[in-house]
Amino acid sequence: MPIIIISADVREIEESIAQKVADEMGYNLMNRRILADIAAKHQIDPGRLNEIMGTTPSLFKKMSARQWRRNLACVEAEVLDHLLAGNIVCQGLAAHLYVTGISHVMNVRILSGNSRCIKDIVEKKGLSLQKAEKCRAAELQHRKKWSLAAYVCDETDLSRYDLVINLDQIDPVEAVKTITGAAEYRKFQVMTYSMKCLADLALAAKVNAKLLDSMPSIKVQARDGSVVVITKALNRQKRKKIATIKELASTVDGVSYVEVHVKNNILAS
Amino acid sequence: MSKPLEVLLLDDEPIVGRRLKPALDKIGCRVEVFEDPREAVARIDQKEFDIVVTDIRMEGMDGLQVFAHVQKKWPRTKVIMITGYAKIDLAREAMGKGVFDFIAKPFRPDDLRQIIANAAEELGSPIYNSSMSKEPVEA
Repeated sequence: MPIIIISADVREIEESIAQKVADEMGYNLMNRRILADIAAKHQIDPGRLNEIMGTTPSLFKKMSARQWRRNLACVEAEVLDHLLAGNIVCQGLAAHLYVTGISHVMNVRILSGNSRCIKDIVEKKGLSLQKAEKCRAAELQHRKKWSLAAYVCDETDLSRYDLVINLDQIDPVEAVKTITGAAEYRKFQVMTYSMKCLADLALAAKVNAKLLDSMPSIKVQARDGSVVVITKALNRQKRKKIATIKELASTVDGVSYVEVHVKNNILAS
Repeated sequence: MSKPLEVLLLDDEPIVGRRLKPALDKIGCRVEVFEDPREAVARIDQKEFDIVVTDIRMEGMDGLQVFAHVQKKWPRTKVIMITGYAKIDLAREAMGKGVFDFIAKPFRPDDLRQIIANAAEELGSPIYNSSMSKEPVEA
């Protein structure tokens, strides 16, 4: 059965719609509650893991870009691993940015509607209309910046999604019906090809998380247990780096072969 | 013993038919192999197959056209698409039109045997898939 990833420009709306879709379809809901398990498994401070889902690296927060990227990679690897089970509605884990190219994954974007959001901000924060508009624009800009920094994709680009619902036009009850109806389309059903793509993506993410423990700047691709790692190194360090990558990647369950491509790191030489 | 599963295998690469036919014979399928889609369609006109396994990109007629022909003539027949040019759009288009399954080359004969077993199950003629192979079929 398909996987439904729901994202929205307002967290509360996203949570509420995802919960209703999961209830309606009898699917499991995967959301930020999973972060506690991920933190325990990868020995990361749970508070910090929650924080990285919405903030970029900063010296003030004592979070280096490398730590941030490694922590995100751990979340990505665990989320993908859980998705292999299917029958899941996923929300709040940025999966819409890294679970791509899988035909049985339906990516849904909910637009909460500008006027409704601004009205909410005015009511909740007691701001003037003008300030609320600025607040909303800043929040959207922040989310866009985060998605670009974390996954080099713009989450506000609506062409990325399979289904976009504007709550200014469609009410939440209708939105849930629309999502559950679309999830029944044959094109979103599991096939051998899409399951293999998801398994490959999950394996690449696991290897990526493993390698980011000890080295920055790598790119991992996987196919049927064979893994290709692309990295950079100084000429004199190439051999050692290849050996380290092969040794580490081979320890990941499901990896049968590792190939390493090392580009010359001109900046470091 | 139950009636063998009638399978038509269509791929313009002769190696695919040569490698897959024995793999499917082993699980009790009666396989007819074609390299030319027009010849395959002519045979489909004459005989109702349980399963049609077809490549997508072929000269003269593509796999989706073959699927449309099968669906019109024999709606009960399960069609399985194999391709070396798999992409999400193509996979969704094929599934949306009603193909039974879609698999990207290269794959192991056992992957196809598993899909055939699933199709047979759905047709109400389950087969026992005991033979396993790690040999890949190239695109």
